[in-house]
Amino acid sequence: MITFDHVSKRYDDGTLAVDDLSLECATGEITVLVGSSGCGKTTSLRMINRLVEPTSGTVSIDGTDVRSSDPARLRRMIGYVIQQGGLFPHRTVIENIATVPRLLGTPRPQARQRAQELMDLVGLPSSMAKRYPYQLSGGQQQRVGVARALAADPPLLLMDEPFSAVDPVVRKELQQELLNLQSQLGKTIVFVTHDIDEAVRLGDRIAVMQVGGKLVQFDTPERVLARPANAFVESFLGLDRGIKWLSFFPAKELPLRLPATIGPASGPVDVHRVAAAAASEWVLAVDGDRRPLGWLEAAALNGASSGTVDLGSLRSIGHAFSPATDSLRAALDALVLSPAGLAVGVDSGGALVGVANQDDINNAIQTAAADS
Amino acid sequence: MLRQTPPTFHFHKVGDWQWVTDHRGYFWTLSRTHLYIALVAVLIGFLVALPLGVLAVRVPRTNPPILAVTTILYALPSLAVFAFLVGITGLTNNTVILPLAAYALAILVRSVTNGLNNVAEEVRISATAMGYGPLRRLVSVELPAAVPVIIAGLRVTTVASISLVTVGSLIGIGGLGQLFIAGENTDFITEILAGVVIVAFWAFLLDGLLLLSGRLLAPWARVSS
Repeated sequence: MITFDHVSKRYDDGTLAVDDLSLECATGEITVLVGSSGCGKTTSLRMINRLVEPTSGTVSIDGTDVRSSDPARLRRMIGYVIQQGGLFPHRTVIENIATVPRLLGTPRPQARQRAQELMDLVGLPSSMAKRYPYQLSGGQQQRVGVARALAADPPLLLMDEPFSAVDPVVRKELQQELLNLQSQLGKTIVFVTHDIDEAVRLGDRIAVMQVGGKLVQFDTPERVLARPANAFVESFLGLDRGIKWLSFFPAKELPLRLPATIGPASGPVDVHRVAAAAASEWVLAVDGDRRPLGWLEAAALNGASSGTVDLGSLRSIGHAFSPATDSLRAALDALVLSPAGLAVGVDSGGALVGVANQDDINNAIQTAAADS
Repeated sequence: MLRQTPPTFHFHKVGDWQWVTDHRGYFWTLSRTHLYIALVAVLIGFLVALPLGVLAVRVPRTNPPILAVTTILYALPSLAVFAFLVGITGLTNNTVILPLAAYALAILVRSVTNGLNNVAEEVRISATAMGYGPLRRLVSVELPAAVPVIIAGLRVTTVASISLVTVGSLIGIGGLGQLFIAGENTDFITEILAGVVIVAFWAFLLDGLLLLSGRLLAPWARVSS
């Protein structure tokens, strides 16, 4: 556990970077420090491994003041990942990863073997071992950065905006991999970001900091989203705060109903019959395996009466959601995109499970909100 | 001053290839002295520039005086310095080596400071955060990362130094410049041309060797030095 006890940092020019910060980062959890630039989040992070010394207060790890340890020794026990990896340009991937074991005196062959294991762990092919950082993509560089930080198997990992320089698709991938790694390794991670979505996605707890180095809220992301401590947190969370919050509620509680469906090779007559029977304007076309193909609007088929339905007249379902694994956020999004006003739920094989309308989703949201 | 050299006194024609081949041994002797002076000057300049450059980067308030003093050194006219030094070091190679070392120093201090300042801030911070002490960080991370810029400086100074040694011949210090003086005195163009070609040859060769060593020392450098 990392404890900040009334920690302040005032720089020589008088700026107060961190103002009386008290915070506990629980062992085995990801604590995210989030806030706009200049809020003191990076300064706070760097006080843990003594890259920055506090002006007052103490930072301790498992009860021991960090200032009682030699800085170099302390740092070798704490993994550190920085934006763009901070990789050594003159060293190959494998040499970069082996850095801390070598500093700790591990003989070269063992250090390299360990580095090789870490390349596997973070998903880098061993063919990249002898490449130099400039020969890697941004995402690969970040993977090397993470592998290097983990090489000496430190119990603590500090990550300073590690994914902010990569494109959104790769960032999402790296975030997911970090969560996977964390579920295997259970490190105590302190993660700094200015991206609230990243904070919500990764954090077991998030600490929202405000310019002037003040901690304004420290709680689980779910509770921060539901009950922001003040107007600053609320505006920082953005106008889709409610939608983000829904990602914490599973869609499996959502009651689903069976829509009117038609199978392959159905004609307009079938559509009208099924629509009338279900008293519904919209009919869902499915294939032989009951995978949704698209919506048909019965009224739009009035002209034609014979032959089979033209697949070109189908309206896209937008996207389906998976009631078993997705959140209410995904269900709501599916609803918004559906021309029929019905979110389509499918199983892992893509076959129709059922649909939910706006009232169903509203009720589920109300219930979830009341329970939280 | 009128110089009267009647045409009949011309023993040699322009481009006397026979003369060139006859004097290969002499060229080699002059080349050895020439390169000795030029390279020792660069070496001394480098050995002084390295700690000074590191100091200028590590202790920021030493930066302006170090750069100011080395700039003044660079501004000194070489011939004046040779003449002044003759009184102290006599007519020895050292009289030429010392000012050339000062010129090399002036350029190389900047190469070292630029090289070190070019190391990305993230690299410096992550090295510290991984547990490098200041000295170890300098030796294992910062200086190796500065190699391409330092090699670029060495290339410039080496070529400049090889070229400048010829000025030393004006005060009679050995080297390929002697060919210019002798050729001028006897109006023998072949000898002057031979001097120019040989000086240029050594300059190209050493520049190429440094380029190659830079590629070997820093295969990771994207922009060649």
